[in-house]
Order: sequence, then C-alpha cells, then structure tokens
Amino acid sequence: MLFDTTQLALERAISGASTRQEALAANIANADTPGYRRVDVDFHGALAAAMGSSDRTSALERTGFTPAVDKSVGATRADGSTVDMDSEQAKMAANALEQQAAVQVATARISILKMAIGGSGA
Amino acid sequence: MSMFGGLEISASGLTAQRLRMDVTAENLANAQTTKGADGQPYRRKEVVLREISQGGGFGAQLANALGTGAKSRPGGVEVAEIASDQTAGKMVYDPSHPDANAQGYVQMPNVDTVTEMVDLIDSSRAYEANVTAMQASKQMFTKTLDLLK
Repeated sequence: MLFDTTQLALERAISGASTRQEALAANIANADTPGYRRVDVDFHGALAAAMGSSDRTSALERTGFTPAVDKSVGATRADGSTVDMDSEQAKMAANALEQQAAVQVATARISILKMAIGGSGA
Repeated sequence: MSMFGGLEISASGLTAQRLRMDVTAENLANAQTTKGADGQPYRRKEVVLREISQGGGFGAQLANALGTGAKSRPGGVEVAEIASDQTAGKMVYDPSHPDANAQGYVQMPNVDTVTEMVDLIDSSRAYEANVTAMQASKQMFTKTLDLLK
C-alpha cells in the first residue's frame, strides 16, 4: 500500500489543524462581539479515538472535524464574551506549529517514498 | 467550504475593527460640535458587532440558541449597528457661545476624549491581532503547499 495509516493520520491532522485555525481566527475576529462564545475544534480527541479503534484506516477516513462551542470557559469579559485574546493567540501559535510538524513529517515520508520509487528523494 | 476560510474570517475582523477606528475618529472630530443637522449637540456613536452565523438552517439556529452547538463552520464578524450613545453631555458655562441657553450654559456633546482614546487603542490592538491570525493562516497554507514540492 502506497499510503499507509500513518500517512492518512498525518493528512487528517493537517486537515484538523486547518479547521482549528479557522475556529481560532473566528474567536479573534469576534473578540469584541458581546455575548460571543468561543469555539474550538478537538481534533486531537477525534484522531485519538480513530487511532484507538479496531479498523484505524476506515475510522480515520470517516473522522470529520466540526467546531463546537467551548463550554469549559466562563465569561472573561464584562460583555459576556468568553474570548481571552492572549490565550487565543497562544493556542493559534501552538496550532500552527503542530500543523507545520505534521507537514514536515508527511514531506519526509513522501521523499522516502520517492527515493524508493527511484526518484531523487528530496 | 472555501479553501481560504481562515483568511476570510480574519478579513471580516479587519473590516469591523477599521470601522470602529473610523467611528472613534468621527467622535473625536466632533468632540466640540454643539449643533448638528438636527440642531442638537453631536452624540457619540458606538459600533456594535455580531458574529456571522453560518448555519442558517433551523437545526443550527436551535443548537446555537441552546449552546449545545456543533456549529457547522465558524463565521467571521460583522457590524450589527452603529448605535448612538444617549447619555447627556456636559453643560459648560460660556455665555458668549451662540448655542448658550438663557442661563449661559452650552450643552456639549457626550464625547469623552479619554474613552475615545481607549477605544482607539483597543480597536487598533484588535486589528493587529487579526493581522497576526491572518499571517498564521497564510503560513499554514504555504506550508501545506510545500507538500507538493
């Protein structure tokens, strides 16, 4: 098999990080919206559940990422918004790094495949 | 699902924050305007923002209202209204002013320059935060494109 479960998991992780990036961008855009409740994407949880199942490949293929309202935080602002700008920025930086890590591992694996096929590799 | 969702969301934030800065500038410019088109002193304006809800359907609306919500996709931000502040302004004693009343007091606009400056800094910082988010989104797209190399 050309693309194995690990490659599929990496692809899903990149997709999950992209969806999460959108959710975090929406939180920052809505920082001044009264009563706004922050959204987040638990793609780690979804991926961990898929990796723990008996048929990983099909579970990973079926894994979708939907942003959900984060109910773990209370209002941090007087207008009822649950957006803490510093924490959003920190989450966004961490998320971007995670995505880059997944991309780099995926790239390395693809270059190994290329080398095996007879290409130049990198 | 559009490919550049994150960029569009941050762009809506930039638009909203820029409008806030424009309105703050208008308030500051009119801090001494004692007579507007309606003959009344200027009233400070305030931008009210709201979230763009992507899930237009009944189910999504209900889930949002109940807060149980698996939202379909995060939306950006939009301007709900530009409200005018109805609090009364200061009365300033200046009998020579053409708009002074019989007792010599002039009704000034309800613009407090300190409040406006704080709003200006707030919207300016929020604008920067959206720019940073936009750069992060762009960087992520670029990194993903590197997979094709």
